[in-house]
Amino acid sequence: MTRFFRLAASCITALMAASAAVADTEIRITHAMSSGAGKEAFDKIVAGFEAANPGVTVKQIVFDDDVYSDTGLITQLQSNEVPDIYFQWAGYPVQRDVEAGYAADLSAAMADSWQAGFIDSAFTAGSGTMVDGKIYMVPISLDITNTIWFNTAIFAENNLTAPTTWEEFIAAIKVLAAAGETPIVTGNNELWPLGNWASHVAARVVSADNFHAAFAQEKSFADAGFLRPLALMQELHEAGAFNKDMQGLGADPAMAAFFQEAAAMHPIGSWLVGSEGDLAVEGFTYSQFDTPVIDPTQAAPKSVIATMTGFVQHAKAAHPAEATSFLKYLTSVEAAVIWAESGAISPVKGVAEKANMSDQMKGVAAMLANADAMVPPPDTTYPVPVAEAYYQAAAYAASGEKSAADALKWLDETVAAMPKP
Amino acid sequence: MSATDRRTPGEWLQLLVGGAIVSAMFYPAVWMVLSSFKTNREMFKNPFGLPRDWLWSNFSAAWDKGGLGGLYLNSIIVTASAVTLTVCVATAAAFAFSRLAFPGRRWLFRLLLIGLLLPPPVVAIPLFAILRDMGLLNTLWALILSGSAWSLSLTIFIMHGYFNAIRPDMEEAAMLEGASIWQIFRDISVPMVWPSMLTLAIVNTINIWNELMFALLFVVDDEKRTLPVGLIRFFGRYSTDYAMVFAALTISTLPILALYFLLQRHVIAGLSATAMD
Amino acid sequence: MNLLFVAPAFVLFGLFVLLPLVSSVFYAFTNWSGFSTPEWVGLANFSRALADPVHLTSYLHVTLYILGTLLLEVSFGLVMAVVLNSNRLGFSLMRGMFFSPMVLSMTAAGVLWAFVLDYRLGLLNSVLRSVGLNDWALPWLSQGSTALIAIMFVSGWRFAGFYMIIFFAALRRIPRSIYEAATLDGAPPLHQFFTITLPLLRQQMLTCVLLAITGGFAGFDLFFTMTNGGPFNATDVPATWIIRTGFDNNELGYATAMTVILAVVVLIISVVYLRLTERGDHVRY
Repeated sequence: MTRFFRLAASCITALMAASAAVADTEIRITHAMSSGAGKEAFDKIVAGFEAANPGVTVKQIVFDDDVYSDTGLITQLQSNEVPDIYFQWAGYPVQRDVEAGYAADLSAAMADSWQAGFIDSAFTAGSGTMVDGKIYMVPISLDITNTIWFNTAIFAENNLTAPTTWEEFIAAIKVLAAAGETPIVTGNNELWPLGNWASHVAARVVSADNFHAAFAQEKSFADAGFLRPLALMQELHEAGAFNKDMQGLGADPAMAAFFQEAAAMHPIGSWLVGSEGDLAVEGFTYSQFDTPVIDPTQAAPKSVIATMTGFVQHAKAAHPAEATSFLKYLTSVEAAVIWAESGAISPVKGVAEKANMSDQMKGVAAMLANADAMVPPPDTTYPVPVAEAYYQAAAYAASGEKSAADALKWLDETVAAMPKP
Repeated sequence: MSATDRRTPGEWLQLLVGGAIVSAMFYPAVWMVLSSFKTNREMFKNPFGLPRDWLWSNFSAAWDKGGLGGLYLNSIIVTASAVTLTVCVATAAAFAFSRLAFPGRRWLFRLLLIGLLLPPPVVAIPLFAILRDMGLLNTLWALILSGSAWSLSLTIFIMHGYFNAIRPDMEEAAMLEGASIWQIFRDISVPMVWPSMLTLAIVNTINIWNELMFALLFVVDDEKRTLPVGLIRFFGRYSTDYAMVFAALTISTLPILALYFLLQRHVIAGLSATAMD
Repeated sequence: MNLLFVAPAFVLFGLFVLLPLVSSVFYAFTNWSGFSTPEWVGLANFSRALADPVHLTSYLHVTLYILGTLLLEVSFGLVMAVVLNSNRLGFSLMRGMFFSPMVLSMTAAGVLWAFVLDYRLGLLNSVLRSVGLNDWALPWLSQGSTALIAIMFVSGWRFAGFYMIIFFAALRRIPRSIYEAATLDGAPPLHQFFTITLPLLRQQMLTCVLLAITGGFAGFDLFFTMTNGGPFNATDVPATWIIRTGFDNNELGYATAMTVILAVVVLIISVVYLRLTERGDHVRY
């Protein structure tokens, strides 16, 4: 008997030893840049950092977007081997991490010249990188989370140009649908792709106060005037705008369908540019326009929907000093130029002038510069379940599953059942 | 009736109907393998026929891009450890339930029913918290131990059935000769149920190899993923490169299919035993 | 000393099966988000769960799914056990082939069938379009009316072989002489099936129904891989809704309350079923 146990015990210790990690000064970084030009650029920056800091290695733990935000990050933050640095979306997620004690306060490190290297809007009360006046997130990208990409060849074949008003937009959709094209492809099985756009549409027709009140559960969506954006979604459906399988399709396959010329338009964020190389068929030409002006009398008829993304240093990082020096390196002009050239808008000063950006990214940057307001996406600004409920209501209306009025009714009932913050 | 007689019309009908249904059921697997040799273009032009050129490059592309080697290794580590643990621990427990007297025996045996009746999703969330507190989250141990624990009930019940089907004569004789219980277990009982242990090992291998939910929730590192999760991620990322996804599917399923056809008798015996108790 | 033989099993079982079950009762009464420390919220999660339409319809879906499995897996498996019950050359191979989907992972099966059923490029729609049936090419997994049925068919494809094997093993134990006597009496094969085969397979059928029920409630993999509850929760079963609520929406406390409800439902159904069928046995003999 004892022999058996001794054997078993030695087996277990042997297995444990095998699985224990070997670590010098290894900083662990987890993020969601799993493919495309962004991954290449990040690898290049990491290599540059390692070359400049002998003895320090960087281990990247990489996920797909969806996995990362669902279980990837939460599992790691709670494991016994936390990452030193992790990717995060500005806004609500950062605030939540600060409350849970995961995020390290970087104000002191920023106080020297580091902070001065960023554009002014990177660290403001509304930028989502700060909580209670302290800096917790180092932003690396300004992401437009929705713009409307279009296939210029298909537009030309149908004698169409980028619409500037909602009426022109609907007319263009009808022309495309009549020509047998799929006007807009969206892969909405996770609800955020269309939901994000529908939020932007809502911000264009609902006042900022009402927009906030509804998502913060202070006012019902009906009282806040959300019938209008849902009716616009219904209008799109009635014009025959969307692919039939929008509710079953994933975001990535939908993007692939756009790059394979299976649809004329694809509403998604600026990160689309990074996938062109992987997915586009030969000779593919495209451009983008922001959601057309819906109501010129609104306070900000030409707003963009955008957010900042960046990195948070874990409060319990094993190597805080090295982690901070990596973040400084990552946001140095030299590294930020590499990053921007992969298809990102960098919040680091002077990068836009130095980086050699594609026409697509120049267009996005110009759009950002001309915008009269920046709308943050609800799912990184407000409690996720409320944002998701609006996304689903938008999908109901856009897929013809429910009328705008019924979708609104469903939305308010669903949100009413949720606990108040 | 021997297999060489002339078949009656009824038997011809049986063969025809059976053959047609079985071919239809088996076709998707054949289609999967054939498609993995085609180009994307050929797959749509000629979805049913043999590939014009047998493209092996899909496999190397899938193997490299999907990191299938690492996924395989993790699946093998998890499955081998969990199955060994389950079968050893369950055999000892089944032996005790069948042969030995101890306090709480009936009660403990009934308790095992929980693991048989309840679906694993029921514990997914609290188990997540427990593994976190034990520091096992995001390690292969999380999958080995929970996979094993959730296989125990079934394995013990079936093993218990096997023990009960064997008369305890030899064990009683050894007892009279003064052998200890541990000696009896090791030298007499285990050799007697050895084939059944093997059968159960195979059944558990299939179940744990294919386990998805725990693997999805408890392990997030790319380097620690198992095949089912890796496959889903691969599918998500390359969902439009049909040929490569089919190659990945083929690589990940063919070995287990081959193992099955090799050990068919054991698999079938084991799986049908799961329904006999 | 004798307890030592069961100790390892119960340490494992206790830590990873019983302890989570017990602690779920605690988490179910909190607003745990996964990030925060759990705070006690009383019965709020339970009252919310009982009013949550997605949660409630997930039980409707799982009931439909179980009924579907009884038809497409258990009944089909039974029929195929009879059809493939022969010693003739080829039948052993056919049984092996019929059973083979069972060893594939649900993930592989789900991915494979997602390709077959894809709207734009799937095999099924390509075939339909190529023979001119353009209107029949539907977004199978993207519309509520067909998605659940599609999943049931895939589930049937995977599991029919399992039930076939169970019935087949039992068929083999029925003495041939019974059928030979019936044939001499002039009973046609179909009549024999209903008067001899079915009654003798009663025990297996009862077991299979229980397996279909418990297996149905455990259903996660196929739903997750093929639709993850969509479109519009039309294929949400308790397991997918629990996991999504817990990990996508970070409402782990609320999700745990739903797991407690699921556990209670499954246990009640199983215990009632076991009681009823045991009593049935006593009545019969």
